[in-house]
Amino acid sequence: MFCRNQTARATVARGSALEMEIRRGKFRKSVFLDTSQDSDIQKKIDHEIRMRDGACKLLAACSQKDQALEAAKSLQTCSTRIMAYMSELQRMKEAQVMQKVTRRSSDAGPMDDRLPCKGKVAISDLRIPLMWKDTEYFKNKGELHRCAVFCLLQLGEEIFDTDMVIVDRTLTDICFDNTIVFSEASPGFELRVELYSCCSEDDYSAGSTPRKLASKLSSSLGRSAGKKLRAAMEPGPCSPVSNGGGAPLLLPVPSVPGPKYHLLAHTTLSLSHVQDSFRTHDLIISGNEECSYWLPLYGSMCCRLAAQPHCMTQQMMSGCLKVKQCGGDPQSWTKVHAVLKGTSLFCYYRQEDVEANVEPAFTIGINKETRIRASEKDPLSKVQNICISNHYGGEEVTHTVTTDSREETHRWMEAFWQHFYDMSQWKQCCDDLMKIELPSPRKPAPITPKQGSLYHEMVIESSDDLSSTVSDILARRMQELELRSQLGTSPTWMSAFEESNARCTGRSRHCTRMSGHSPCTPHRLPRSPVSPHRCPQLGLLSSDASLTSDSDSHCSTSPCSHHHGWPDPTSSYSLLSSSPSRLRPRTLSLDAKLSTLRGRGYGGGGTFQCSCQPPPSSPLAPLPISSRSPRSQHSTQTTLSCSSSTSSNSSSNSEGSHSPESSEGGPFSRPSPARRSLRNLRARLDPRNWLQSQV
Amino acid sequence: MSFVPGQPVTAVVERVEIQKLRQGENLILGFSIGGGIDQDPGQNPFSEDKSDKGIYVTRISPKGPADLAGLKIGDKIMQVNGWDMTMVTHDQARKKLTKKKEDVVRLLVTRKSLEEAVKHSKGCYPKP
Repeated sequence: MFCRNQTARATVARGSALEMEIRRGKFRKSVFLDTSQDSDIQKKIDHEIRMRDGACKLLAACSQKDQALEAAKSLQTCSTRIMAYMSELQRMKEAQVMQKVTRRSSDAGPMDDRLPCKGKVAISDLRIPLMWKDTEYFKNKGELHRCAVFCLLQLGEEIFDTDMVIVDRTLTDICFDNTIVFSEASPGFELRVELYSCCSEDDYSAGSTPRKLASKLSSSLGRSAGKKLRAAMEPGPCSPVSNGGGAPLLLPVPSVPGPKYHLLAHTTLSLSHVQDSFRTHDLIISGNEECSYWLPLYGSMCCRLAAQPHCMTQQMMSGCLKVKQCGGDPQSWTKVHAVLKGTSLFCYYRQEDVEANVEPAFTIGINKETRIRASEKDPLSKVQNICISNHYGGEEVTHTVTTDSREETHRWMEAFWQHFYDMSQWKQCCDDLMKIELPSPRKPAPITPKQGSLYHEMVIESSDDLSSTVSDILARRMQELELRSQLGTSPTWMSAFEESNARCTGRSRHCTRMSGHSPCTPHRLPRSPVSPHRCPQLGLLSSDASLTSDSDSHCSTSPCSHHHGWPDPTSSYSLLSSSPSRLRPRTLSLDAKLSTLRGRGYGGGGTFQCSCQPPPSSPLAPLPISSRSPRSQHSTQTTLSCSSSTSSNSSSNSEGSHSPESSEGGPFSRPSPARRSLRNLRARLDPRNWLQSQV
Repeated sequence: MSFVPGQPVTAVVERVEIQKLRQGENLILGFSIGGGIDQDPGQNPFSEDKSDKGIYVTRISPKGPADLAGLKIGDKIMQVNGWDMTMVTHDQARKKLTKKKEDVVRLLVTRKSLEEAVKHSKGCYPKP
């Protein structure tokens, strides 16, 4: 049947002459093949090859990381497109061949299959949630591991890519704002979504990748590419001898040093996933934690997949009709110009009305519930009538429609059948027209306010890291404090505390965490079930001195069986937080924890002077902890300072955000003016806070 | 109640006189304030108009001096001892309330229910 050197061969060996011909675009189809379609694809292939070459050159030439990533992305897209076109070409050739065969072998009748109309499919608002470990998310130490990601969307022959997004562990979701519209999709479409990622560490430069590895990476095919190739290589029923060995059908991928994208996850969407709202779909993740391009995906993807079949948006049929309503005068035929579109048959008095956008004279619904049948031949005109019945409310309304000639009637019936078929194929897309917003080129990027991420709404239970960090901070501050002179006006009796302070500070460095070391009644760190406040015999101002639960400072201030407050060590705490705020661009966990604890325990003002009353149920307590913006570290600062404020001074505490203030009743302590101003300054400087002060 | 540039602010106010409570070295009033022209007004849970940068009462300590004097949570403080509170920073407001030398503060506060009450009462009486 086929000789090996027939140009109708399905597979193209790598490096073969045919391949070279294709590359050069000089490929001329054999007589069997349909030239026009192929040349289209050929042109596309050429275009993509040129684009790919350009991308390679750019990749080799560019020095900036972003440029390199973008160029690599275009490279990936072009390669995928080329492969898709090649496989399409191959498929077409195979189909031609098959047809030829069947034509030869049997006289196949005209294809009677009805094909459903095509449609537009649009995917937009892609969002892929990430699932960082909270330790990763909050620790913020070390370099930020960043990946560049983008999505490749393929439907049939059309392949589009989204913009590239850089993802690091401060993001909770990968969002792609692009709207991608595929124009010629059949109802049985398969939209393949692939997420590619590439690690974008600083040291990823062209020179650093070991040469051998680089060349290996660039000449090997990714998993998806290999799969596609294998699928494309699937020998059809009529395929002749395969060219021995099945060399991969591919032009050699240029080996260019630079960032390379790997497939991280993929999924396939189809008609059943189409809906006019957002839906979540599962992702199939490839790769594992060891890969450099790994990102902890939650495993699902949200998007809006809408489809507009052409039967809903375009005129399927139009022409002149004569309409008579059932039950009306048999002779009163209304001549109209009818347009079948969407779920209705619009009847206009004149054809010009259609373009003029005048309201139709009347509309006959054509939807899934409609029944259409041909009635007997009208004895007068010898033409069959078409009866269209709908149920409006409880009633059945029938319109009788006829045309001038039998051929017309037949055409209309055909159109109706096709329409019904389309609707049955496109299913839910034909209930209502789904909106597809075409991205307007001039639309400026919407400035969304900084979105609160999920993490902000998480209430963080006790975590060991947290307390140790705070303890470290406190310990450091104690050190600083020792060197500082006293601020503010402490009453004379405060000096009595200094020695004990000094004594205790040394210890506190070690025992900030647990009370164990101190000889005095220990304060325990507020782990969840434990009552947050302890009442050692610290009595100042007639109350037991229990530090507020939310700061670990009270641990360090636990020591004394003397009754005292803590003027200076506590003051240090107000300055403490400057370091956390400097070190950690994001101290949400600390803030959140402290806030929750504060909610449980005492508010800011009452430090050890607060009585051991149970924490008041402040009306503000139920306020959600998450505000739109991440908690600033100032709440840390203010919390600590509040909790550690001295007894002597009268100034209000400032706290960050909506945390409830300290309890009523008990004596309030206010830090000294200097400390307060420092704290206030920091709190004030952060615009995200909504300060509340106790007066 | 909110500020419209160029227009005088009018409001129905209630006078609240709070005696500060002395607790050791401190004089406390027993409530908390929020707001200020340097604060983000969108985060104020009590304001009707989310661009209102006035000083609001965000918490009342039960049985504290403010509670006994009749201050209610959500009140907007218009004046403190004659000092205006509608256009002050948070810290300025706090300072005006916590002057050590004063042991009583006279506030002018407004709340929505006051406006309503006046409207209702006005409605009852026929205009002369």
